[in-house]
Amino acid sequence: MEFNLDSKSKEEQPFKKACEYVLDEMNGDFVGLALQNRKGPDISWHYAAGNRNDKYKRITVRYGKGIAGRVISTGTPMKIEGFPNNIHGKALDYPIMLAENLRCAFAVPIQFKGVPKGVLLVGKRTVQPISESDQHKILDAAKKLEKELNSLI
Amino acid sequence: MNTQPLKNNISSYIIQTHEEEIKRIAMELHEGVGQSLSSLFSGMQLIETAIEQPAMRIYAGDMKQLLEKAIQEIRLLAVELHPPTLTTFGLISAIKSYMKIYTSTYGIEVEMENLGIESQISDRDSITLFRVCQEALVNIARYADTTKASILFKWEKSMLLIMIKDSGKGFEVEAAMNKLSGLAAMCERMHLIGGNCTIFSKEDHGTSIEISLPLY
Repeated sequence: MEFNLDSKSKEEQPFKKACEYVLDEMNGDFVGLALQNRKGPDISWHYAAGNRNDKYKRITVRYGKGIAGRVISTGTPMKIEGFPNNIHGKALDYPIMLAENLRCAFAVPIQFKGVPKGVLLVGKRTVQPISESDQHKILDAAKKLEKELNSLI
Repeated sequence: MNTQPLKNNISSYIIQTHEEEIKRIAMELHEGVGQSLSSLFSGMQLIETAIEQPAMRIYAGDMKQLLEKAIQEIRLLAVELHPPTLTTFGLISAIKSYMKIYTSTYGIEVEMENLGIESQISDRDSITLFRVCQEALVNIARYADTTKASILFKWEKSMLLIMIKDSGKGFEVEAAMNKLSGLAAMCERMHLIGGNCTIFSKEDHGTSIEISLPLY
């Protein structure tokens, strides 16, 4: 599969807008959308809302590594509460949490033709966990993004 | 009885043995497992082209992709464990390679300046300097909350000076030295090879780490 993300075309505006919409709807501080690269298994953060800096644009994680890599490789959501405590591995294995100074996050897979190819992450800079209802909203938003992605590519 | 030299010798021996073991594992991964997987990958490519049944051909293609991922993983793991360029091309080359990985991992841009001509230094000194720089950069990613950092190498006739700076949130050095073993370990490692490591930092005023090593 090929995501044409090198040039930010009009078709890709919905993704940026979707991040902003999710941020408005949730009680979150940061929303990011990561997608698997065109070539190779690596994953990059392409779109964000509520970001404090542009570090996310330079972060690339390997398949199976970091939050995005793990969500894509397992195809299941991932929840982090009270970062850097209560995590598997080292804090350095979670670059997006460090880059955006996040304490809690909920990340869900975005499927393309039935295969996980992207991740929608909502994060908070406070220790207050993401509520069950917000988790459902994030899953719904990911489903909508999935439809958008599958209709565009 | 003064046991300090003995303690230093033991610490030095433990660190050196540890580094040698890491290097051995990295070599084994790169040249052993990595090479075997590459051979398997070539074989799978041949098999894929020879298969006529479409479903089996797709299956072979998927297996080939999995092998490719495994080869990449092994290579990256080997480089993470021990930079191969350190022995062949020296400290500056190894740091430059690490900086690329560092920026793409943590999103922090590192500006590097190299003044003077790189002198040849022993394997033990090179790996110590590399590890200390690596620890300093990792600490920036972990604690500094900044988007930029800089690293300066100054090669003088009888001394190598390295300065690693960031304009992040900083910290109280004394308190951090007691709390964070990584900072104390950086200084200890430099002392063990006859060098020095000084940390300057203040809350909201960034951090500067000065490393020096006499060159003989």
